[in-house]
Amino acid sequence: MSILKIDGLSAGYGPVRVLHDLDLEINPGERVGLVGLNGHGKTTLLSTIVGLTGWQDGSIEFRGEQIGGRRSHGMGRTTPHIVRKGIALAPQGDAIFPGLSVKDNLDSGAYSGATWRSRRRRRERILEIFPPLAKLLGQSAGTLSGGERRMVSVGRALMSDATLYLVDEPSLGLAPKISVNLVAALCEIDLGDGAMIIAEQNLPLLEGRVDRVLGMHAGELKLDVGEALGDVPPAAGVHL
Amino acid sequence: MIEVLISAAVLASMYGLVAIGISFTWASIGMLNLAQGFIFTAGGYTAWLFAQYAEVWGITGPALSVGVLILGMGGSAIAGLLVGSVAFLPLQDRANFRTRSLIATLAISLIGTQLWLIFFGPQNKPLPPVFGEGRIEIGAGGISYQQLGTIIVASGMLAAVIFWMRSSRHGLQMRAMMMNPLGAAVVGVSVRTTGMRVLAISGALTGLSSVLLAQIFFVSPTSGTQPLVTGLIISLAGGLGSIPGTVAAAGLIGLAEALTARYLQQSLVPFVLFGIVVLILIFRPRGLGGLLEDVRE
Repeated sequence: MSILKIDGLSAGYGPVRVLHDLDLEINPGERVGLVGLNGHGKTTLLSTIVGLTGWQDGSIEFRGEQIGGRRSHGMGRTTPHIVRKGIALAPQGDAIFPGLSVKDNLDSGAYSGATWRSRRRRRERILEIFPPLAKLLGQSAGTLSGGERRMVSVGRALMSDATLYLVDEPSLGLAPKISVNLVAALCEIDLGDGAMIIAEQNLPLLEGRVDRVLGMHAGELKLDVGEALGDVPPAAGVHL
Repeated sequence: MIEVLISAAVLASMYGLVAIGISFTWASIGMLNLAQGFIFTAGGYTAWLFAQYAEVWGITGPALSVGVLILGMGGSAIAGLLVGSVAFLPLQDRANFRTRSLIATLAISLIGTQLWLIFFGPQNKPLPPVFGEGRIEIGAGGISYQQLGTIIVASGMLAAVIFWMRSSRHGLQMRAMMMNPLGAAVVGVSVRTTGMRVLAISGALTGLSSVLLAQIFFVSPTSGTQPLVTGLIISLAGGLGSIPGTVAAAGLIGLAEALTARYLQQSLVPFVLFGIVVLILIFRPRGLGGLLEDVRE
């Protein structure tokens, strides 16, 4: 059974339609790159999966269970419910808790009952993935640098017992060297039967590291990544 | 002087509990709960009803005291949930939630006062002394059991709530929601469930304050108004959402009220309190705690 099966999904905000009748299937153990330019719907797709878009219409099956459907108001109302089924999102803009310590920020990711009891072991694992966080555990998250904040945000998502990890633009706004390390770390994590979608503008960061790369252009998925990135110079050039 | 300080500490503990409730509610769900006075009276009347039946059932001594305290908190917690189900759950993800819930809680507060008048009449209802009668003499001054009990129970309860907020899963969840509602939703914290929990806890703190205040004054349909106003003053002065700020402001406002009542006139108290809050807000617009400044994005 596929982990995620999206059929005919449209979504947007108010009168604006961002996603157009989109289909997508993700299988267990898969790490998928979602590549496309700014404003073409990568973030909207990841947000819609957890019900964070203004409106949405279409089927989203997570491990055979319907979590999509038609919804036109109450943005975010279903999100906690969906997240607790086993989907973890590291959102754009990080959405960390600035007044809480790094440790509390990470622990908040292990929110659901059974996961909470094993939070110490999980935190140790995150510190292995992101060693720089070890020294910062007691520090307030609002005082961190951009790269450290991103590690906290991604680390918080990894703290959960999720089957599907959604990582939105891990390299956004980071120095090249830091983003390379971060994405490499993400791509080395053992997913087991789980899956991961990494949305990224910077194709070279993902190439050779993920199982499959999908292009996203004007709210539609393209197998041809070149088309998604359009005629502009390689996204890497935009970034570096 | 000692008497003034003791009186200040007693006032600070009682009003501090109400203020912490208002502050928590504002920081976590963005609702300025003007029905806190109604919640306050609900606890007082629940405790009073219990005290009436306790007499019939022959409950006295410590059991009566504990019962009055617990039922006062319970009654207010339930009133908090009631306010939440009317003013929070139906409005929470609509536009202008802050304004709408402000109006809704104001309405509950007005309707509530009338309901108390209908059910209990305008007479003042006394509560039995929870901490017993008597006083301890210290040097020139002294402290009554009631004052000592109020300070100990209020600060103990506050310390327990703060400890729980800092160490438990549900506490972390509330602090997370105060900092970043989107982040909280993303890790699976439901604003609605957590919001109701916050309202119940804020209610329980207010109910405790109600029982403690009824040791000095009485329970009456309008007895919640003054604690609501003082609670709002303290939570504004402390910086909405900041626990250390609210505790500091409670101490300051309690002291100001005690000094004014002792050396000037009881009727000047509101002027002095509002004067202080205006001064604080001029120099520190986010209040003493100033938490929201670094925290809300």
